[in-house]
Amino acid sequence: MKPTVRLRRNTDRRTSAPTLLTAGLCLSLALATGCAKSEDDPSDAKDTGKAAADAGQEVAEPSGDQKTCDLTAFGGKKLDLKGATVGFSQSEKEANPFRIAETASIKAEAKERGIKLLTANAQSQFSKQISDVQDLIAKGADVLVIAPLNSDGWGPVLRTAAQKKIPIVTIDRKINAEPCKDYVSFIGSDFVEQGRRAADRMIEATGGKGEVAILLGAPGNNVTTERTKGFKDRIAEKAPDLKVVFEQTGEFAREKGQQVTEQLIQSKPDITGIYAENDEMGLGAVNALKGAGKKAGDVRIVTIDGTRGAVQGIVDGWIHGVVESNPRFGPLAFETLDAFTKGEKVGQDIVIKDTEYTEDNAESEIGKAY
Amino acid sequence: MTQLALRGVPLDRARVLRLLQDYGVYAGVLALLLANVLLTPHFVSAENFRTQAVQVAPVIIVALGMALAIGSEGVDLSVGSVMALSTSLISLYLGYGPVAAILVAVLGGMLVGLANGSLIAFIGVQPIVATLALMVACRGLANVFLPQLKDVRDPTMASLGSGSVLGIPYLVLIAVALALLVAFTVKRTTFGRQLLAIGDSRPAAQLAGLPVRRVLVVVYVVSGALAAIAGVLATARLTASDPTSLGTLMELSAITAVVVGGTPLSGGRVRIGGTVAGAVLIQLLTATLIKHDLPPSWTQIAQAVVIVAAVYAARERGRR
Repeated sequence: MKPTVRLRRNTDRRTSAPTLLTAGLCLSLALATGCAKSEDDPSDAKDTGKAAADAGQEVAEPSGDQKTCDLTAFGGKKLDLKGATVGFSQSEKEANPFRIAETASIKAEAKERGIKLLTANAQSQFSKQISDVQDLIAKGADVLVIAPLNSDGWGPVLRTAAQKKIPIVTIDRKINAEPCKDYVSFIGSDFVEQGRRAADRMIEATGGKGEVAILLGAPGNNVTTERTKGFKDRIAEKAPDLKVVFEQTGEFAREKGQQVTEQLIQSKPDITGIYAENDEMGLGAVNALKGAGKKAGDVRIVTIDGTRGAVQGIVDGWIHGVVESNPRFGPLAFETLDAFTKGEKVGQDIVIKDTEYTEDNAESEIGKAY
Repeated sequence: MTQLALRGVPLDRARVLRLLQDYGVYAGVLALLLANVLLTPHFVSAENFRTQAVQVAPVIIVALGMALAIGSEGVDLSVGSVMALSTSLISLYLGYGPVAAILVAVLGGMLVGLANGSLIAFIGVQPIVATLALMVACRGLANVFLPQLKDVRDPTMASLGSGSVLGIPYLVLIAVALALLVAFTVKRTTFGRQLLAIGDSRPAAQLAGLPVRRVLVVVYVVSGALAAIAGVLATARLTASDPTSLGTLMELSAITAVVVGGTPLSGGRVRIGGTVAGAVLIQLLTATLIKHDLPPSWTQIAQAVVIVAAVYAARERGRR
């Protein structure tokens, strides 16, 4: 018994010194970055100012038979957006170009219109997003812009918002709820259409013949399923000679995209094309092809998103086409809310027009990429 | 006759299980290799083996540190985040040249290891809790240092990631060298003996007068350094720093490699050869399923089966 007691006393006595040591170490690590000096980056001079403004979203098809929503149907009261407080709930942390551009666009538009903006970021945790939105409501947001992490599970929050008649616009992903009752409208891209257009680029690049591989996004994500569906449907319909022979997930990450492509070119050296469901995986595939000693253009790559790196890939000849998924929701979201709060009719489903980058326009349009 | 047979059966079973635990992982690797040679087109090529070796190298390096931590009856959950931290430090300090950047990155990993080890050895925090705290902290820190993916254009880093000597990639050479070094340390040095003694029974080691705290701190510092090296190599291979996704779930891959390799979670025993083979086994399993274009969920199920089999073998042994 005795030794144990002594041992314990020993540890107790030494506690404070190591604690200080640990704290000091963490601090020094943090301070160490003060004198950091990173690599010179020629592409860092992103003159996004003017170019970004040019690349604001456009509505795809303002057709007449679309379902609309206005204040009387929703049951709210008029307000002037100028003096209102807008709450914005972002789903994922701004660590990828899409989210960075999305949040920046919302913030820039609010600033330009002189509107008070409250923001929150759920860091990819759905429970946090729910409480974020509740917080925004409690802090007095008059209208809400939500980039939902999930489509389901919004019931309780939407009820709170509905009681206070707070108009909600969801961007980039949809909420499974009743439009014009639980929320006003959804603004986003048509992911199935993006898949179809990627297929068109792939058919053009390969001449409609050969074998293609798909680098899937994260499993269980609606973006993945819809981009896959659109691509496969269009291939089956237009180019039956183009065969999808390989479908593996790259989880939307460059490293996974590279690893999977390395396996792919080992087992299927004659692959004609690779369809990556986002730019990052496409850039990983480029890495893998370079590592395997292939030359630019040997394997045709088509990706979706429109980030700067991928568009640069077209300029360098490695990527054949990039279908854009425009993240700059700011102008359109505020326009919609402005019109709605004035009492005008707005569409329930506002599908935005995504552009495309090809060999023809990549060099001139690279400034628009995000 | 019957009596003999009855007595013979459990004995045989014990021996089989013992063999399975000691050599099962090697048998698994051989079986998978054989199956692939027969079933997978284009499998037998130098290029293919190089790809598999390059992909598994970072996992092996991280698993070496994990094996030491597990051998000391602990675990290091922070390794994946340390990789992320290391990649962001590389990117931050590349302006001073690749050597300086790599040194800073490895130093950062060692500091995290020092924090882990101090919490565990001096304050007496459970390894799983201490390293969990550092895991969360480091990922956050990595994202603060470098909020988003950044390309690495340095030619030295690029050649580290894709260059080779006599057809063997640098990554593989480094992994093999580190594995030999760690194996030697565990088998032949005083430090290795002390580590195993502490893993077997910490109170006994303490009573015997072994420098328990020092050894524990060194174990986690080494684990941090190895994870940081793996982060450097992964960065070099990707030619980009991606602190958000680099090293995610790496701690689980490393633990899997160690456990499948026959190192018991109860400490006191470290099998470096088995750990390397365990990492190779999982890599081959993943590669096989990808090459045959099977759904990704199958990979996870297959991994689970391998882990359960490995743990089952270990359990039977522990009882005797």
